[in-house]
Amino acid sequence: MPIVATEKLCKTYNPDTVPVHALRQVSIAIEPGEFTSIVGPSGSGKTTLLNMIGGLDKPTSGRVLVDNVDLTAMKDSHLIDFRLRNIGFVFQHYNLIPVFTAYENVSFLMLLQKRGRQEMHRRTNELLDAVGLGGRKHARPREMSGGQQQRVAVARALASEPKFILADEPTANLDSDSAMNLLGIMSRMNREKNVTFVFSTHDPRVIKRARRVITLVDGAVDQDQPQN
Amino acid sequence: MATYIKLAWRNVWRNRRRTLITVSAIVFAVVAAVFMQSINRGSHEMMLDNMLRFSTGYLQLQDYRHQDEPSLDNTFAYDRSMHQRVLETDPRIQAVLPRLETFMLAANHESTRGAVVFGIDPQKEHHFNRIKDRLVKGRFFEPEQAEAVIGGQLARRLQLETGDELALIGQGRFGMSASGLFKIVGMIEHPLREMNEQAVFLPLPAAQELLSAEGLVSALLIAPEHDRHTPAVAAALRDRFGDHDLVVRTWPDLLPELLELFEFDLAGPRLLALVLYIVIGFGFFGTVLTMTMERLREFGMLLSIGMRRGRLALVACIETLFIGIVGVLTGLATAWLVVYYFHRHPIELTGDAARAVADMGWDPVLPMSFAADQFYTQGIYVFVLNMLIFLFPLWKIIRLDILEAARK
Repeated sequence: MPIVATEKLCKTYNPDTVPVHALRQVSIAIEPGEFTSIVGPSGSGKTTLLNMIGGLDKPTSGRVLVDNVDLTAMKDSHLIDFRLRNIGFVFQHYNLIPVFTAYENVSFLMLLQKRGRQEMHRRTNELLDAVGLGGRKHARPREMSGGQQQRVAVARALASEPKFILADEPTANLDSDSAMNLLGIMSRMNREKNVTFVFSTHDPRVIKRARRVITLVDGAVDQDQPQN
Repeated sequence: MATYIKLAWRNVWRNRRRTLITVSAIVFAVVAAVFMQSINRGSHEMMLDNMLRFSTGYLQLQDYRHQDEPSLDNTFAYDRSMHQRVLETDPRIQAVLPRLETFMLAANHESTRGAVVFGIDPQKEHHFNRIKDRLVKGRFFEPEQAEAVIGGQLARRLQLETGDELALIGQGRFGMSASGLFKIVGMIEHPLREMNEQAVFLPLPAAQELLSAEGLVSALLIAPEHDRHTPAVAAALRDRFGDHDLVVRTWPDLLPELLELFEFDLAGPRLLALVLYIVIGFGFFGTVLTMTMERLREFGMLLSIGMRRGRLALVACIETLFIGIVGVLTGLATAWLVVYYFHRHPIELTGDAARAVADMGWDPVLPMSFAADQFYTQGIYVFVLNMLIFLFPLWKIIRLDILEAARK
């Protein structure tokens, strides 16, 4: 059973004036453990699709099912709770809480989930070690490089043990070394822990590492191909 | 909760300079408001104390009919045991003064004037209001003598001097005629103009005999330790003497025009404080507005990752409260020190102002009140201000569109 499925997903902006079709009848299914890249030129609908899958935006028509739960029918408050328990996010601009340390940023989601203190402490340390930042636990975002901040963001996304992680152009603001490092971590998590990643990107190096590439053109699926 | 508090505290100090400026503005407002109120209330307390000690006192025990018909017929019995019972009613009662009071004609050999005759106990009266210090000529009478002390202006109008005789003519109890000759042994310059023009003081037994009211008084003036004890002492007296055809009246009841005057006089400083808080409130609002607008993207991110709007609003509320609390506590501590200093060392008036105040028989100083409520009410005002300002981030958080916030 797919962990994420979209059914004839359409998103039209300004339907009453000058309609802009951001998504047209997009139907995809993502299985657990996939490492899927959504690619396409600017304006092709990558971010819109990710927003729909993440329950951040509502479609004009069609459905988004996460673990067989229809997100499009959910109220805002339920969606927030649903995201907290099921979806991890990695943003292009890292979006860490600037006044929190790396440790606090990672543990914050578990705090929102009301997990026990000991579990929170253990898991935060494990995740920071896993992304290679065990020694920078007490650093605040402004004291870290972009690559380090994005690794904290990945650790934060993993902290809530989501069903899948959505990453919107996660390497767009990183230099080559940092980007490859981050990709290595995400790839390893996918292989070793079976974490499902769905990410949008322009970056050919990222596309090369994906095991499935969905290409969007003008809001519609143009190609959907597995990769070795 | 601890994490939300930590998050809020650190957010407040993200822009240290901006927060410090806002906190300083609140500190200034609190100190200025407390200072203004303290000066005003201090003056009122002094004025009230001076006026009440020379007129009605803080509380009076009267016959229940006296309020409607303040005649000698509506008096009540007073003796040593009654005095003791009143004194023992409440430990906060500092003094009990018997007074027999009526209107009479005061005359010399060729003219008459209206006068208010007070039968008093000079020792108790002096203990309460230092009346002997107002003597400008002669001495005060002894309790058992047929002697009088009169207001300076009345003496001048009747062209009387100490040593002269004063005739008092009027009506005693139950319509009996009352007249008597009293030797003027002293003259006082009373701080209250009306009293200076009309007052004639007699020893209580002499007044009782003159007015056929032996063993009776018109009122017992009761002095609590402080004006703030007046309502509690009044309640205790009502409990004890409510069944004796006696009523307890407090000074706002006895002198309603004085209360109105004070209320009117307080309106100015209250309005000033309101203007001050409105100005400071806009500054505070500016800070919260900036703090909110520059973090909309962050708010959007927090909602994306699963923080409920209510929790986010809670953090924003704590942030607003922190600024207010730091400002209020610093302001109150500063105000406390300033007011305490001036309470102990009042500002001394000089020149004409000092002379005018001294002429009224008061100390030429600007006394400052140290009442607790003028401090904590500022905390309440800033809390209300806080809550009003918090409505803005609350509104923003409730209406925040995550995708729009991400585009900021």
